[in-house]
Amino acid sequence: MIARPIVIGLALIIAVTLQTALFPLLPTGWFRPDLLLLLVVAVALEDGPLPGMRIGFAAGLVTDLLVTLSPAGVATLVMTVIGTVIGTIRPYLAPSSLTAPLFIAFASGLLGTATYGTLALLLGDDRVTGTMLVQSSVAVALYNAVLAPVVIGPVGRLLRKFPRQTATAVD
Amino acid sequence: MYQRRRVRMGLTALVLTALVLVTIDVRAGDDGVLSQARGWVTAAFRPVQDGVGVIARPIGGAFRNVQEMFTLRVENQRLRETNADLRERRRTLTDLERENRELRRLLNMQERGSFETVTARAVALAPSSFEWTITIDAGSVDGVERNMPVVNGDGLVGRVVQVMPRSSRVLLAIDPSFFAAARTARTAEVGSIEGRGGDPMVMRPLDPNADITQGDEIVTSAYQGGVFPAGVPIGIVADVGDPAARLAREVTVRPFVDFTRLHHVLVVLSAPVETVPPLVGTPGLEFEPPPVPRFIEPDDLDHDVDDPNGAPADPNGAPADPDGDDDDGAVGTTGNGAGVNPSNASRPTT
Repeated sequence: MIARPIVIGLALIIAVTLQTALFPLLPTGWFRPDLLLLLVVAVALEDGPLPGMRIGFAAGLVTDLLVTLSPAGVATLVMTVIGTVIGTIRPYLAPSSLTAPLFIAFASGLLGTATYGTLALLLGDDRVTGTMLVQSSVAVALYNAVLAPVVIGPVGRLLRKFPRQTATAVD
Repeated sequence: MYQRRRVRMGLTALVLTALVLVTIDVRAGDDGVLSQARGWVTAAFRPVQDGVGVIARPIGGAFRNVQEMFTLRVENQRLRETNADLRERRRTLTDLERENRELRRLLNMQERGSFETVTARAVALAPSSFEWTITIDAGSVDGVERNMPVVNGDGLVGRVVQVMPRSSRVLLAIDPSFFAAARTARTAEVGSIEGRGGDPMVMRPLDPNADITQGDEIVTSAYQGGVFPAGVPIGIVADVGDPAARLAREVTVRPFVDFTRLHHVLVVLSAPVETVPPLVGTPGLEFEPPPVPRFIEPDDLDHDVDDPNGAPADPNGAPADPDGDDDDGAVGTTGNGAGVNPSNASRPTT
């Protein structure tokens, strides 16, 4: 019962660490994949809207607290909504589809980054320009689509090893 | 039905919470509760990030080595040419150093002492695609304070924007919100330089017709006040921009620092240079402009640098550099800006 939140929490910490300490070392240019967003996608696809919403809120909050200049709360808002939406559309996806997770990883990376940048811009973060917004959104979307098979699949299998006791009854 | 209602209620609650966070952060500014929370989160993650960084750095190095194999030949040829050029310049260096000392004595300027610095390791980058900051493993217990300059062996890295006891966050010079006073080392044309969210930076010279050519070195300037000591190398001019754009000429500057490979940095602990207060409107101050010729022929402008009666070439008050190089001091070793602090150099006496 308690093991599942612990596993998800550990996955979140690992994702944050890799995102901030490992990815900057890789030659991916100025843009990096958004591993936290991929984790949100993976949990939402596996567990549905409510867990997707929770992990989205947690991942967004951590992202907000690890940036300095953008307003806190923006990533929280974006990832919470993304987790909920993906969890909601989950029943309409074929469970064995290989392309659906890739498409969702791409679309969430594109829309998530674009929405985050736009909201930051609207809240007075004048560092964000239109060019940067487009470049980073496309880059994050592509990176996330490439990384999706090695994140979404393993996270799903890991979560299935720790099934929720009341999952079907509640969510 | 019950599940949908629960999702709707949960989503509403969490979205409202996020909006409250945005409101608190925007209203509270840098000293609010969320700023403290950011410090705690950074401090909590730093040891893990540090460990992962140590383990993963060789992996990242291997990736880069493979990537760089393709550019090594061109790079080698370029380095040979640079080496030949440096050998040539080295021959004249001794004479120029002597001349520099003499000129400084002539101007009765104080030789600059050494920077007091603390070495730190870059531990992590921000997770956002719109922010260029790093976390370093030095904090307030090491004497680090907010707005202190951060440099490395190549030049200017950025400035400290958040300080925790054992870690700090540094705004990199390529971040779009980064701003510094700068000048060209060759002609001392002053302006401002700012990041653009990637490799090239943009310098906006005060004079749109400034004499700036491709390959000119850009260094920091303490002319307009600010946190950076003068003479810290920033980068090299890659594109001189359009001099016809009289209001906003943009010079593209390629930074010396490779921001994708930041490992060790130096935080300059010397007190930030205080901004010179505006003189206009200050009671009791009478400013007498120095005597200048009423008319200056355009042809004479080229000789102003050597004219002992004219204004100094360097707006910081430093002497004109005969070799065209900047000798304001090497990064991390010399220069506290005492000789070029505008508060010392340009404040008139009553």
